[in-house]
Amino acid sequence: MPPFTPSSHAAGVLTNYPPVERWDDWTEYDPATWPRKVARKYMLVPTICFNCEAACGLLAYVDKQDLSIRKFEGNPEHPGSRGRNCAKGPATINQVNDPERILYPLKRSGPRGSGQWERTTWDEVLDTFSSRIRQALVENRRTEVMYHVGRPGHDGYMDRVLQSWGVDGHNSHTNVCSSSARLGYALWQGADRPSPDHSNARFILLISAHLETGHYFNPHAQRIIEAKAAGSKIAVIDTRLSNTASMADYWLSTWPGSEAALLLAMANVILQEERYNREFLRCWVNWAETLRVLRPDAENTFDNFLEALKAHYATYTPAYAERETGVAAALIVQVAREIAAAGTAFAAHVWRSAASGNEGGWQVARCLEFLSVLTGSVGTRGGTSPNTWDKFVAAPFKRPAPQNVWNELLYPQEYPLSFHEMSFLLPHFLKSGRGRVDTYFTRVYNPVWTNPDGATWIEVLKDDKLIGLHAALTPVWSETAWFADYVLPMGTAAERHDLMSQETQAGSWIGFRQPVLRVVREKLGQPVRFTYEANPGEVWEEDEFWIELSWRIDPDGSLGVRQHFESPYRPGEKLTIDEYYQWIFENSVPGLPEAAAAQGLTPLAYMRKYGAFAVKRDVYNLHDTPVDPAHLAGAEIDPATHLVRQQGQVIGVEIDGKVVTGFATPSRKLELFSQTLHDWHWPEHALPGYIKSHVHRDHIDHAKGEYVLLPTFRLPTLIHTRAGNSKWLYEISHTNPLWLHPRDAERLGVDLGSLLKVHTETGYFVIRVWITEAIRPGVVACSHHLGRWRLDKDIGGDRWSTALADLQEVGPGQWRLRQVHGIEPFHSVDPDSDRVWWKDAGVHQNLTFPVHPDPVSGMHCWHQKVRIERAGPEDRYGDVFVDTNKSFQVYEQWLQKTRPAPGPDGLRRPLWFARAVRPSNEVYRITSTPAS
Amino acid sequence: MKFGFLIDHRKCIGCHACSVACKEEHQVPLGVYRTWVKYVEKGAFPNTRRHFTVLRCNHCEDAPCVTICPVSALYKRSDGIVDFNSNTCIGCKACMQACPYDALYIDPNSNTAAKCNFCAHRVEVGLQPSCQIVCPTQAIVSGDLDDPTSLISYLTAREPIRVRKPEKGTKPQLSYIDADESSLTPGATIQPQEFGMWSQITNPHITDLSMPLFPGTMTVPSGPDLLQDLSAEAGRTVYNVGHAVPWGQKVSLYIWTKSLAAGAFLVSTLGVGAGLVPDSPLLTWGALLLALLFLGITSALLILDLKRPERFYTILLRPQWRSWLTIGAYILVVYGALLGLSFLAALFGATSFRHFLLWPGGLGAILASIYTGFLFGQAKGRDLWLSPALPVHLLVQALVAGAALLAIFSVVIPSNLATTVLLHNIVLWGLLANVFIMLVGELWMPHGTQDAAQAARLILRGVYSRLFWGMVIGVGHVLPVLLLLLIPGAPIGVTFLAGLCALAGLLVFEHIWLIAGQTVPLS
Repeated sequence: MPPFTPSSHAAGVLTNYPPVERWDDWTEYDPATWPRKVARKYMLVPTICFNCEAACGLLAYVDKQDLSIRKFEGNPEHPGSRGRNCAKGPATINQVNDPERILYPLKRSGPRGSGQWERTTWDEVLDTFSSRIRQALVENRRTEVMYHVGRPGHDGYMDRVLQSWGVDGHNSHTNVCSSSARLGYALWQGADRPSPDHSNARFILLISAHLETGHYFNPHAQRIIEAKAAGSKIAVIDTRLSNTASMADYWLSTWPGSEAALLLAMANVILQEERYNREFLRCWVNWAETLRVLRPDAENTFDNFLEALKAHYATYTPAYAERETGVAAALIVQVAREIAAAGTAFAAHVWRSAASGNEGGWQVARCLEFLSVLTGSVGTRGGTSPNTWDKFVAAPFKRPAPQNVWNELLYPQEYPLSFHEMSFLLPHFLKSGRGRVDTYFTRVYNPVWTNPDGATWIEVLKDDKLIGLHAALTPVWSETAWFADYVLPMGTAAERHDLMSQETQAGSWIGFRQPVLRVVREKLGQPVRFTYEANPGEVWEEDEFWIELSWRIDPDGSLGVRQHFESPYRPGEKLTIDEYYQWIFENSVPGLPEAAAAQGLTPLAYMRKYGAFAVKRDVYNLHDTPVDPAHLAGAEIDPATHLVRQQGQVIGVEIDGKVVTGFATPSRKLELFSQTLHDWHWPEHALPGYIKSHVHRDHIDHAKGEYVLLPTFRLPTLIHTRAGNSKWLYEISHTNPLWLHPRDAERLGVDLGSLLKVHTETGYFVIRVWITEAIRPGVVACSHHLGRWRLDKDIGGDRWSTALADLQEVGPGQWRLRQVHGIEPFHSVDPDSDRVWWKDAGVHQNLTFPVHPDPVSGMHCWHQKVRIERAGPEDRYGDVFVDTNKSFQVYEQWLQKTRPAPGPDGLRRPLWFARAVRPSNEVYRITSTPAS
Repeated sequence: MKFGFLIDHRKCIGCHACSVACKEEHQVPLGVYRTWVKYVEKGAFPNTRRHFTVLRCNHCEDAPCVTICPVSALYKRSDGIVDFNSNTCIGCKACMQACPYDALYIDPNSNTAAKCNFCAHRVEVGLQPSCQIVCPTQAIVSGDLDDPTSLISYLTAREPIRVRKPEKGTKPQLSYIDADESSLTPGATIQPQEFGMWSQITNPHITDLSMPLFPGTMTVPSGPDLLQDLSAEAGRTVYNVGHAVPWGQKVSLYIWTKSLAAGAFLVSTLGVGAGLVPDSPLLTWGALLLALLFLGITSALLILDLKRPERFYTILLRPQWRSWLTIGAYILVVYGALLGLSFLAALFGATSFRHFLLWPGGLGAILASIYTGFLFGQAKGRDLWLSPALPVHLLVQALVAGAALLAIFSVVIPSNLATTVLLHNIVLWGLLANVFIMLVGELWMPHGTQDAAQAARLILRGVYSRLFWGMVIGVGHVLPVLLLLLIPGAPIGVTFLAGLCALAGLLVFEHIWLIAGQTVPLS
């Protein structure tokens, strides 16, 4: 499309947003009374979305008359989302006004899971939890306090809180999400995420569905389409036809788990046709080390390396890849040539998808990055950078010292290379006596529903010998909250503070989530001490909760906790939330104080007004940044590795006589050969390679009714189990029929809508069939957001989105979930609740999945080998059955595949690997006393 | 100034942000949409693609919804926006029939018609519509088509564009770049039935769907094509939003009762006025009272079918004269007045005046019976109804209905042999004419559009075929014709039975015809 040059025309030219200078006082006509003109006065306050992790900007329209939030639009001042949103942005208003939301803290009044709840006070909550945590700290049980987070929504706040307590208790959802991709990227470049510069790419290769889902869906989709409009081509590798694959120039539908073979065949084409970026490889790849492994006897020259590399990957011919993947060899060659032609403007991305579905999926990410390396497109304009270049995490005041304890419930010795905590194995660890959790916070985390083997989670969550006290921090009910001791309502996107940054483009920004009603009240001169005063009901924001809780844990400061929650401005007094962010904005964000001053604002006022700040723009080639000559005096250059050390610390690498910072790896180069994998017992995988997945087609016998199930794909309108409180999102999509190719439908003898019984290793579920040409024959797929349930008629789950279910333990460890009825209209203050017209809530498949921890990355390998048959007369839609005895056996089988620590020097984990809430280096050594 | 939309499907990623942002801006209730995104899948693995299409009001230059609206609740603004006023809408749903694009719905909160209004309240303060600002890929462009330097003018000039159903002559002001034929033309794909790729299909509770007379026939039927028959050649609609069938049993009953009201009097005009038969209580009191009674029922049905029945009188007070709903309302009023006068004349024995009134009254009856044809002719969305034969057909139906009604009542109201024979003849020849018009003129005759053909197919061979061939043709036509032909001498039982059969057949036909016309998807 040729470029359009706008000219300014006053009449008929509409703008997208009111100008910022009028945000405090904006008048719009009420659409409800239109065409009668009724003026409404609004104050516009920016915040950031809390649905996916992309942290897109929102702009809340607060009606000045009744101080209600009228709507959310995008924030045009946000550098990532640029005023635009996906469907989940405007749906935030549903989440704020959801009649089903929890407004007061609840405490169980019967046994766990009995569904008996009573309202309690926040005072009681804070006293109960602070005294319990205090006791744990006093008794030095520093692995027994655990904070388990699904959606962080902030950068670093909780790290600070947990380290101020001195516990090793940060658990996450990463290993059911992105561990394998993280490991794959980290092995190459240190940083565990890619940051593609889609806008400027000439060819984009996605093993993802970023035109419809995933973070950073909206910011990335904008830029991918921008590139497309400018003539860039797109290829998508996905077994299923995603919307993204639909929009692509090339759809490569691979047999699940064969993606690495496909990528290596492309690499092979580029190598054999000599279309690689020779200079980039010579400068930035650890080729000398690689050659030493490939040809120990050869002379260590770059040309020999190239020959060895070609020989090493020569077996990955397009014909071989076609046999493995099902993708035509000619297509593979064509895409490989397009990639090579794009050169340094080749952007690539994998985050979950094939990496998360398959055993060995971390090699998929590694092979994809291999293409970026071969084309020399790492860190370039239009290429793919390490995410750390484009994400800015602002430091808070007074960082606590790292904790001196290592929690083996989080990082067990079997998984020294995992990214990160082995979160989904927590119940299995607890069951097998590896420890206990005394105080457990789950925060926007729903493992009972989301994680594999949810029934084992139920068993453990109900056992107070394994989990002493459990609080679920969440705005709404979830399947997990049902089994907690306390349910503590926390604010939605417009009811809390958070500071976030994401690598959505070649540049970095910070976004500020704000409790918009509090901000409006303060602007109107009404003082607000705590956010909950401005929020609906008694909904707190977590930041203030942790300050209050920490204060009560250590009221006299004797434990060393309190000091971190004292104001940086008023010594000895309790920190306020304003002061926390004020300090960050004044001291930690380069350029912000100046930008604020230019407008006559304090940095905090600037962020309250704009909600976002662009920290850096056009960030490229940081690896080539020269080391400050001042630091080079007296530095030593290692003749073998060219690493430059100053007082024993590596400060850069010498390349062609120039000392530059390089990449965040031990060699400061991109590591084609990984010494780390070699040293940590995986020498056979030390180079990017192809690991045949646990669902490799050799393992599937269609004659026996066997298929591969892809259970992970997402829909553009939903986000995990957190969109159930949006009526508009559920109205669009609410069910997850099983995608089946017509040929397989014929083989199974089923029609559209027939019920199928899908058997996994540990149970089965009964689901309806969707017959489609959008899936590879022999593979079935089922979207992962749907199949939500609640156990009580009225509470325990949003009625917009949950089926009423009956959950029975019919034998020891044998659980049966049966739907009593689907979604039904209900009566509430929202007249729409009487108009709910959809009945189908979908089917909960994850319950029937046993855990499949990848022995290297620790990723739960989601894809399932299943056996499918037509449902019998006793089977009902939505039935789920699972046997946790069997799932424990599967856990033990996969545990056997690991090659545990120690690694070199008796370490638990390579010191150069990132670790969430990193403890002190001392506890990395197994010889130090493990504390769990 | 002329505002228009352009939707660039080279960029649209089918994310539904526009649908939700619109719901938020306008607080659109569950079950209905002002804008939505349809998904169509085409091709066979691995050469498959999913096409997205953003559908909504086209802000037509010649907007049929504006033409048909009897009270100007829908109107074209000087800047080209087709806007609406829920404060004046009476909820007649005619706009939903006039719009060929499924753009309108009845808002369940206000019970009035609503649709995309280009966010006119935002345009008023210089802001773009909500759907546009939210769009992640800027696939939605709004702007002034009269300004040659605007982006929308640039794109519509430089890129190949197309609009939905240009043959409707509505001149849509929303154009598409790269929208696939299969997603713009509803008949081009297999429609989803109970559920699509991730959702059930909406079945909003705002319509008059139940017809106690014919239980089980009133749900929108599944067409002959089902997704089960997935053939790789055909496109499959895998996500779409459901749309109401705006007119149901009250309207079918209304067409039928109006036929009776018009026909009864028309028969007396024809018989007595033309001097074919001597006057009799049947053609005087019978015809008058029955016409008045059924005209009353007709008016009641019309009012009851309004979603805002308390506003019915505004049709008369703020008439929009291009609307045949308005013209029809006035025709019914005038016809009613003539009937009233005739009744008074009969009451006071002013026979010659009453005989004089037979002519204007008869004209009123003709107009009352045929105006519905013009009204349905304004329903540009319903191709089946756009039959040139319709006014004639309605007139024949009215004659048959009137004669059959009087024939039934001749059992209790005295008349004479000549009248009975006349009634027999009208019913007999009327039914023959009716079956001819119906079958040849409306159903068998090759149709101008696929939608009309599909609707006719539903009647002749589809879900309505049993009712049609059994009730309409068999009971409603063949049986009375045979009775009248085979049993000479006009015995009372035959008259009575033939009349009942004919009326039953007509009623079933009106209903099938009404529903079949609305069954074919518009989007």
